[in-house]
Amino acid sequence: MNDDFSSVTQKIADGAALDERDWQTLIDTHDLIALGVAADDVRRRRHADRVTFVQVVDVPVETAANGGTLPDQAGELRLTGRPASVAAAVAAVRAVVARAGSVPVTGFALEDLQGLCGHELGRLGEVLLELREAGLALVTEAAADTLTDPEPVFDVLRTSGLTLARLTVGDVAGQAAFSLVRRVATWDGAGTVCRAFAPLRPAEPSRPTTGYSDLRQVALARLLVDNIDSIQVDWAGHGPKLAQVALTFGADDVDAVPAAAPDDLGWRRSPREEIRRNIVAAGFAAVRRNGRFETLDVHDRSEHE
Amino acid sequence: MTVESTAEKVLAGGRLSGEEALELYVAAPTSLLGRLADTIRVRKHPTGVVTYIIDRNVNYTNVCVARCSFCAFYRPVGADDGYVLGFDELFRKIDETLAVGGVQLLLQGGHNPDLPLEWYEDLFGAIKARYPDFKLHALSPPELLHLSRLSQQPVPVVVDRLVRAGLDSVPGGGAEILVDRVRRLLHCDSKATADEWLSVMRVVHRAGLRSTATMMYGSVERLEERVEHLCRLRELQDETAGFTAFITWSYQPPNTELGGAEATGIDYLRTLALSRIVLDNFDNLQASWVTQGGKVGQLSLAFGANDMGSVMIEENVVRAAGAEYCMDEAEIVRNIEDAGFAAKRRNMVYDVMGDPFFRERSIPRRTELAVARLAGDTTVPAEVSRYPARSRPGKEQRRQAAQQPELGTGD
Ligand code: SF4
Repeated sequence: MNDDFSSVTQKIADGAALDERDWQTLIDTHDLIALGVAADDVRRRRHADRVTFVQVVDVPVETAANGGTLPDQAGELRLTGRPASVAAAVAAVRAVVARAGSVPVTGFALEDLQGLCGHELGRLGEVLLELREAGLALVTEAAADTLTDPEPVFDVLRTSGLTLARLTVGDVAGQAAFSLVRRVATWDGAGTVCRAFAPLRPAEPSRPTTGYSDLRQVALARLLVDNIDSIQVDWAGHGPKLAQVALTFGADDVDAVPAAAPDDLGWRRSPREEIRRNIVAAGFAAVRRNGRFETLDVHDRSEHE
Repeated sequence: MTVESTAEKVLAGGRLSGEEALELYVAAPTSLLGRLADTIRVRKHPTGVVTYIIDRNVNYTNVCVARCSFCAFYRPVGADDGYVLGFDELFRKIDETLAVGGVQLLLQGGHNPDLPLEWYEDLFGAIKARYPDFKLHALSPPELLHLSRLSQQPVPVVVDRLVRAGLDSVPGGGAEILVDRVRRLLHCDSKATADEWLSVMRVVHRAGLRSTATMMYGSVERLEERVEHLCRLRELQDETAGFTAFITWSYQPPNTELGGAEATGIDYLRTLALSRIVLDNFDNLQASWVTQGGKVGQLSLAFGANDMGSVMIEENVVRAAGAEYCMDEAEIVRNIEDAGFAAKRRNMVYDVMGDPFFRERSIPRRTELAVARLAGDTTVPAEVSRYPARSRPGKEQRRQAAQQPELGTGD
């Protein structure tokens, strides 16, 4: 580890402000392991050896009223897609809540809801209240790259009593994503309304990133974003191998673990066993949570030996 | 003995015993294993070069009598979808390989009782006659042993005959885990016991050929057996210095008789790092992006690997077990450079051949690996009928071919 890098990580540990040069040192380092060790230190101070995960059933908003049986491993029912109107959004929430039992129902991208409200904050507040009264537990996500002026939006969320399950980097990657991480780190109020920060864009074959850049992004997020409690990776979106390695580079929460195995009999284990095995193999205790971030159970290393 | 003292020993350039290596693997955090492995990589490769080779991994037959329980690739003798590639098909594959700057074939296959030693000699001779500079990295130790048994010739004689025909070097496949308890469980002890695998490699090295060494972990072995495997390779390398590189990959369970779950990405990086630490007399460690995917493949460069392996134009064995990762030369180079290294082409003995080829001339991007044979193609190459078969279905095929001389293609 070189001296510049050590002095930056020391500054982070001391809570000191980073200057432009420090920032560049973090982005430019090819010493991935040193970056990972620094992020892992920060992560362990916050979450000790716990890694949380949630098993999600996606429910497209347009088919929400269709019914159907729920996989019994579901820890969250998530309404996906853009609703056609506020009324459609509320109806979809009601329909899913009616069959969800105790499983929390989440849904929607904040920017879609803002669009339905003509980007009027007052109207957004009313809609969020309506959704909450219909039974929505959390708003699924907001893309940080679309939040030019986040504080007023966070205020509206706070007032409505709804939180964001996660803040994402939206559609950016590489240098732009590093800069976005830096911006998010300055949003003081984010932690009171965002449960997790997801620093990686879902993988796309046509726009591939690399393992180094993904892990650097996860580590930088944990090192810099101390205003949001959890750093999240996406099991389905990033693939089990990269997501698992990311747990040793600062991530502490795994989203989008399927609630049921696919029909093609290609898997030999249930998704729950598979995620637990991966978390424990990375040296952590596997904590199953639901969509409200409530702990359901804990598996540690001794149960997987 | 503590993790710290063992780590210090590694940093000071000391050699770990099997016990020390096992303790380090069990107790050290992943970051420490990576840090130690990376220190050794830098010591061995201080210029920051990461190499790769452009070659083609061709499986000349999928018919196999060994029937290893971890293998999704083989077909039993007489199976409808069993195949043998014809000489012409192989020439075509070589032409395609040369067109993208390739320098060798990695040629391996099943233990097919209907392909005698003479078939291999004729194939190698024909390839060398057409492509004198093209290299043949072919036939892993169990295949050489199979040919020895089939031809009733000692392994040194088989190796000698194949070298005369054109064999350049030997891939380290079929090692799995070099512990007979594990090999019995995997039903691969009959193709070669641990001692047999090592003794074939000894013969190969004494004949002046270089080879690679491999380890397939994550099936039924215990951690101490992974370490024993590494120690046995290290011992032979002390004796012969014939191994150019080591490659490890995880067992790929889909479509196999053995089944089970694949080892995780962290397990791969830890095993790779441990290999770099234990194999202090191996110069090169390859990343297995074919089994781990491009991202973890690239991360291997932080955990001891100094080589990205092959720009694999074709791959059949891992694909049969469900993994289908593809990286062409441009993608491999992008990954190497993104990790902060200089990318260089190499040959089998790790001589640097030059800068990335695709920067010198235009090469079409490849997003899918080729296959040995298209599904449903059951063509039997005409020349196969010239060689005596040992199996009943093989004899029947020869009999039919004799009655219908137009059967098949090629020749
Ligand atoms: S691993 Fe090789 S020897 Fe074993 S069954 Fe498969 S093809 Fe045959």
